[in-house]
Amino acid sequence: MIRLQNVSKTYGGRPALKDINLHVALGEFAFLVGPSGAGKSTLMRLLYREEMPTAGNVFIGGVNLNKLGSRQIPLLRRRLGIVFQDYKLLPRQTAYDNVAYILRALGVDEKDVRKRVTSALNVVNLEDKASAYPDELSGGEQQRVGIARAIVNGPPVLLADEPTGNLDPATSLEIVQLLARISERGTTVLISTHDHTIVNTMRRRVISLKQGEIITDVDSGMYEVEMSVES
Amino acid sequence: MRILRIFYRVIIETILGVKHSGWSNWLVISILAISLTIFGSILQLTMTLKNVVNSFGSQMIVSAYLSDSYEPKVVAKDVSQYPEVKMVEVITKDISWQEMKKSLNVAAIKNPLPNTLHVTAKEPDQVTELAQKLELLPSVEAVKYPMMVAKRINEVRHFFEIAGVFVTAALTTATLTVIGNTIHLVIQARQREIQILSLMGVGHFYIKCPFVLQGALYGLLSAVLAMLVLFCVHMYAIQPYLTTNMANILPALPKGVGYSLVETFLVMVILGVAVGAGGGAWTSGKYLKI
Ligand SMILES: Nc1ncnc2c1ncn2[C@@H]1O[C@H](COP(=O)(O)OP(=O)(O)OP(=O)(O)O)[C@@H](O)[C@H]1O
Ligand SMILES: [Mg+2]
Repeated sequence: MIRLQNVSKTYGGRPALKDINLHVALGEFAFLVGPSGAGKSTLMRLLYREEMPTAGNVFIGGVNLNKLGSRQIPLLRRRLGIVFQDYKLLPRQTAYDNVAYILRALGVDEKDVRKRVTSALNVVNLEDKASAYPDELSGGEQQRVGIARAIVNGPPVLLADEPTGNLDPATSLEIVQLLARISERGTTVLISTHDHTIVNTMRRRVISLKQGEIITDVDSGMYEVEMSVES
Repeated sequence: MRILRIFYRVIIETILGVKHSGWSNWLVISILAISLTIFGSILQLTMTLKNVVNSFGSQMIVSAYLSDSYEPKVVAKDVSQYPEVKMVEVITKDISWQEMKKSLNVAAIKNPLPNTLHVTAKEPDQVTELAQKLELLPSVEAVKYPMMVAKRINEVRHFFEIAGVFVTAALTTATLTVIGNTIHLVIQARQREIQILSLMGVGHFYIKCPFVLQGALYGLLSAVLAMLVLFCVHMYAIQPYLTTNMANILPALPKGVGYSLVETFLVMVILGVAVGAGGGAWTSGKYLKI
């Protein structure tokens, strides 16, 4: 579902990613870990075409992102659910309206919108906060709205760049377990994180980046001990 | 249906954009309205002058205003003997007066109009000569020969047309700048939201359209304001002036000169909306980073 072929990315001569080869299969659930500056966010930005690789190819569902015209980028992003560390909710809209936004922008009729938004809020267990504004919600609740928004259009791939970065440990685990449940419905999920506890608790695929290179990639892995000492 | 729902959403986004613009809405609308008022006045003036010139130019008639002490029919008979005269028509003061009262609400005053002869020349180049000849007659108090007037009006009209082009260009530039700045501010204020929308996969058209519509809305509202101003000027300044001074003006005016505001208004609306939407499209194209 996600494939990177010999992908490099340099910022003004400084390499952020070096010759990355990676494949995440349909329905897979994987962590992307690594110390600060390892290139996790850079890799994510390549996947949702916020950046272009300096060399190599990035494929999502077989589509080469290098070949996308600017008009097709929105189409790509609608096939991805993206979850951010800072939630990126629309501040002047309620939780419900945040989740509904993309559907409405696509002209989905309001009855369908209600059905799909309610079901998405249901998944994140937030039906009772539908009419709250982001600043009336806790960080964990805001992130759940962010996840509901990411899944409302039924994307085959869910990308989450440090989704728990601003949350306490208990809430973080809840959020990641929620993402794991979503992946059980067939969605490919890639989560970047610093959080050892979560990675070690979940025992899923772990891709470790360091200084722009993949140093390990193991199924049911642990956060590298060496790294936890470093950071 | 889907298109309609998207359009409805875009309208809502537009209204939100207008709300967020606050006081600068009024700045933009007043500047655009002032520009359109000036533009509309010049346009109306040149169009009316053109009408006048056209109807003057097509006439080979010399109007001779007779002194009341002469019998118009007798003078007409004399004049019709001239070799260059094709036809003479007598228009008595009573007929002129009735005509005028029919078309305008004239104050109840004593008939101030003279008896008039409409003398038609055989050829266009005889008109001037004929007019001069008529003027020398003792029975004739004054003559008006429209072709002469038409030339002078034409010079004035050309001046206004050229001035109009420059004024329009200058005002359009000024207006575009103001609209551009306002929409730039909205875009800046909503930069983060726009970035979020873009990451959510909202289409470029959907993000950009509200800014274009906002500009178009400015254009429309300004055009309506400008039309109101022009209409009031027409109703409360020009019309009363024409009515009270009709006795002096009417003999000089050929028949059938239109004084229609409709075409001017149409052009103003089109120009306003085009400049507004153009400003919005240009700015959002320049500053939207999606
Ligand atoms: N837009 C940019 N311009 C220049 N350099 C950048 C840019 N984005 C990232 N970098 C550099 O690329 C490297 C990788 O950054 P990246 O943000 O991908 O790291 P990360 O693994 O997400 O770190 P963190 O855990 O702190 O979020 C860093 O050295 C960073 O300074
Ligand atoms: Mg990062």
